[in-house]
This record gives sequence, structure tokens and C-alpha cells, in this order.
Amino acid sequence: MAIINQASKELQVKIVYYGPAMGGKTTNLVQVHDHVQTAAGNKGKLVSLATSSDRTLFFDFLPIEAMAIKGFKTKFQLYTVPGQVIYNTTRQLVLRGVDGIVFVADSQYEKMAENVESFANLEENLRTLRLNLADIPYVLQYNKRDLPNVAPVEYLEFLLNNRELQVPAFSASAHKCDGVFEALNMITRMLLHKFISQGTPQYA
Amino acid sequence: MATLPQLIEEDIARLDAELRELLERSDATTALIIDKGGFLITSQGDAQQFDLTTVAALASGAFMANQTIAGLVHETNFNSIYQQGEQFSMLVTCVDENCLLLVVFKAQVSVGAVKYFAAPAVKRIALQLQIAQERAPDAGLDLSVLNLADPSQVFKRKA
Repeated sequence: MAIINQASKELQVKIVYYGPAMGGKTTNLVQVHDHVQTAAGNKGKLVSLATSSDRTLFFDFLPIEAMAIKGFKTKFQLYTVPGQVIYNTTRQLVLRGVDGIVFVADSQYEKMAENVESFANLEENLRTLRLNLADIPYVLQYNKRDLPNVAPVEYLEFLLNNRELQVPAFSASAHKCDGVFEALNMITRMLLHKFISQGTPQYA
Repeated sequence: MATLPQLIEEDIARLDAELRELLERSDATTALIIDKGGFLITSQGDAQQFDLTTVAALASGAFMANQTIAGLVHETNFNSIYQQGEQFSMLVTCVDENCLLLVVFKAQVSVGAVKYFAAPAVKRIALQLQIAQERAPDAGLDLSVLNLADPSQVFKRKA
């Protein structure tokens, strides 16, 4: 849950990038880190707890400040989870206190089963934290659209966004920074509107 | 999922006072109260030489990972973690269901002293959080203070 510090006029929110292994979650954070326009000092270091082969071991973490609410310093904390199936406990830890989720799906045909499994795993892990995906703002990002063997967007929509209430979905090629800021801005917009219309973030 | 109680300026002032007293008594360098989700709530002491936002995120992750390990070895009381360094050491102690106290201290400072002074500080911090909880257990946020700038373009890509 977000934290609002009335004493220092700060709002802190946590956005988690979730999805199957090697889908481009870390690439999203790297691109945001490399390309975001911020005032000096408002972008933190990208911290990556990765193995020697660049697979995320625990999480990646990128703190950024942005002017989202007038009069409040808004601090966004972007996290990724490790996508590999064996690191499920770690994914549960990172999801604690989540405010918004970007689900990064791999568009390649052969990754469809992994996408569906990862999405089901997200719902299950939220349930262990007594959270319901329907109550948390999330967006879908169909990554790797520049590869030749990708499934049509309609098929991904059928697999991952086939619900009563469809969520925004973005085609992306994260390594070219296409679709990265679109997804981030949309999830930001959704969660800020949630706070304003109905939410009761925690004070600090 | 449990949430933090509402904390007003008075609460933050008392929490800060507790941290200052702990630093003074234990001769530690920096003390932080952090949320188990990774947010920094408040800090006292030297904030210049450490990236406290990242320290809070990583320390909460490390603490929660240790809690999970505790469960795996059928232990319910891994309520603190201590990292010994050559320059600085660190102690993270559980305050309550939602918060942690993190103390960074010079390596030559005794961890026993830090633990000794941290124990009553943790109790007083937990008490202050409880007072806040009982003051307004269900109170919400005054939404009128939130005035969105331009939410469609919070993050802009460099040209």
C-alpha cells in the first residue's frame, strides 16, 4: 500500500513488473532508468540483484521522483520480480505492499504457456497476501513485438485479457524503449486515480 | 492485508525523537523506520553518505527473506538480522507487523550496545504506532489535498 507522509508532503508508491522469465522486465527498468527525463537528483540508482548470467535473482529496484500530484513529492519505486519458476517465494516477498502491476508478457508463440502460467502465478501469489488482482490497478505489456515469431495481439488479448473488465494493453519492444513509457504512464495514471476516487493510502 | 495506521506530524515527531535518542545512546550513525514493503517512513542521523531509499528497499527484502527462511526451519522468532562489516555494521529489528527498525553503526561500536538500546526504542516505537492506530483505526485520506498535475504524462522520455 502506498504511503503518504503528511509531515514531509511525500507520496510513495510501489509498482511491480511481473511476468515470465526472460520476458523483458529488467529491460523495462533499464530503459526507464536510461531515458526518463527528471530533474537533477530525482532519479535513483538502478539496483539489480542478478546472477552472473544477468538473470534476476531477487529483484531490480529503481526509485524515481516525479511531479504527479501538486504540492506532493511523489516517489515511485519500481521493482521487478525474478521470472524463473523456482523463485516463487521471492516473487511473493516483492509483491508485499504493491500498488500497481505491469505484467510483461513475451509475445513469442512458444512462450504462450509460460505467459499464462505466470499470470496465474501472479493471481495466486496475490491471494497469499490476501490481495485480489481485481482490486489492484494493472496493465499488460506485450513485449518483443519486433521478433519474427510473435503471436497476434488478438491472441495475447484472448489469453491474458479475456475478462469482464479488460485492462489497458500495450505492444512493446522494450529493448528499443517502444511501449515502455506508455505502460508506465498508464499504470501511474490508474493508480493515482484509484487513490483519488476511492483509495485510502496509508499515512506516514 | 494489514496496513499501517495513520501517522500525523505528532507521530512522526515522536518517532524521530526516539530515533535521535537511540543514536545518541548507542553511538550509532543512522537509524531508519521502514515499512516491510520497502518504503522509508522516517530517518535520523547521517543521511548524506547512504542512499536511504535503496537501503530501506533492500533491507526490508533481506529481512523478509530471512523471515521466510525462519519458517522453513520451523522457527518463529527470527526477529532481527545483523550484518557485520569492516567500516559499518547494520542491525534490522522487527517493530510490529508492518514496520522495521534499521540501525547503521560504525564497526567498532558494539552490536550488544546497539541491541541493548534498540530493544526499549522498538517498544516505544511500537507503542506510538499503536496509539496512532487506536486514534483513528479506519480514518482515510483527505482526498481534497490530492490535485493531479498531468497524470497522462508523469514520466517523459528524453527527446
